[in-house]
Amino acid sequence: MGRFWRLVGAVALALFSLMVLAQEEDDPVKEAEKQKKQLLEQSGGILPSDLYVEQGEQLFKAKRGPKQVSLEACDFGRGPGKLEGVVGRLPRYFFDTRRVEDLDSRIRTCMIRLQGFRPEEIRRADVVAIAFYLASLSNGQPVTVRPLMPQEKKLYELGERLFYLRAGPRDMGCATCHVTYVGRRAGVLPYSDILKDKRAASHWPAFRYSNDQAWTMADRIRACYSNLSMPAPDFYSDPIIALTLFMNVQANGARMDLPGFIR
Amino acid sequence: MRRFYIITLLLILLGLASGQTGPSYITPELQRLIQAGGQNYSNTLLRQASDQALCSIHRNRLPADVLGPFIEAQRQTIKYPADGKLMGDWKKGEAIFNTLARGNCFSCHVGSPLNIGGNVGPSLEKYGQRGTSEAVQKYTYEVIYNTWAYFPCTVMYRFGHNGLLKPEEIADVVAYLLDPASDFNTKPALKR
Repeated sequence: MGRFWRLVGAVALALFSLMVLAQEEDDPVKEAEKQKKQLLEQSGGILPSDLYVEQGEQLFKAKRGPKQVSLEACDFGRGPGKLEGVVGRLPRYFFDTRRVEDLDSRIRTCMIRLQGFRPEEIRRADVVAIAFYLASLSNGQPVTVRPLMPQEKKLYELGERLFYLRAGPRDMGCATCHVTYVGRRAGVLPYSDILKDKRAASHWPAFRYSNDQAWTMADRIRACYSNLSMPAPDFYSDPIIALTLFMNVQANGARMDLPGFIR
Repeated sequence: MRRFYIITLLLILLGLASGQTGPSYITPELQRLIQAGGQNYSNTLLRQASDQALCSIHRNRLPADVLGPFIEAQRQTIKYPADGKLMGDWKKGEAIFNTLARGNCFSCHVGSPLNIGGNVGPSLEKYGQRGTSEAVQKYTYEVIYNTWAYFPCTVMYRFGHNGLLKPEEIADVVAYLLDPASDFNTKPALKR
């Protein structure tokens, strides 16, 4: 009899904990924190994003490409090899490429210019891992993106214009959801407030626990288009950089939470 | 450079031929930016229609002087099923309403007994309570066919106007919403 009741108790406890686990928080930030804690407990203190950071560090420091050099001399805007806080200062204008570049495109530029890779040889997964490594060195730093150069000012204006543009068979436009329907849900997640919530842009690159993927802002933007059956702009292309510039300026002053951990 | 002029000239002629003299949102600089995003991307974005341009220019809030003519122009585009019936087969409408790649209605509206609804659009729970009068049928059909005729620049797709659904398919969705026998009206809506 005693054994029976112990068994019943154990089953009840298991069911109860299942119910608690299955209950999803309404606030996506709280829900992500909960998921992060659970994952840390299960894995003994390691997050999937730590593995990307580790992989990115190895790629960054290894002598690779036709020129067999590392990326350690890459200039992300604070001088060659200066990596702390760079993620929160991009996109910005670079004199060597005469182009405004974001994190992804700058990594690619250095892989081409320093290591001698041809553009078609660059693996997207490598760029993402390196972005995660750089992100880990910018955690806790403020977002400081101020368009001062004429090229930056111009691209910011175009990014804003693109943000409000509507086109395609579903009349798609970024602002239609991320300004007009902020906080409302179509599906699981509420639309983030790009103009007023500084957290919207300050947690990229991020690990997505719902589908086990590592994403940079470029992946996020491309998915926004694809979700509404629109063709997405190419990786490393100017529309992505312009939208990122526009959004990061809105996040100015926010403390970066990197790599992000989101649904 | 010569090629550029020829292409520009062709585009202008094309624009004139299709009678597109409406407002334009895409400046030459924005056009170059979009083109840098790749062929498929720019093909879709650069084909922006003049009504989409108006919503872009005014950031989805049309001023009073634009509003009247805009709504009138949107109303003019609405077409009806050949047999004139605005209520079709609710079973077919159910499939459209609840399929992501078709109507995707449930993502934004509460009311479906099959899917948890979103709150981007108003709740449609027990929509059939409105009855099936001609006025209710017509309003429901027209909002789905071209929602901009009632809610200018809103996020909802203009299903008929943009060719996402045929008039008969829209009538099926109307039936799903209005038919008293439809599961939409007989079964409880799923909510978060």
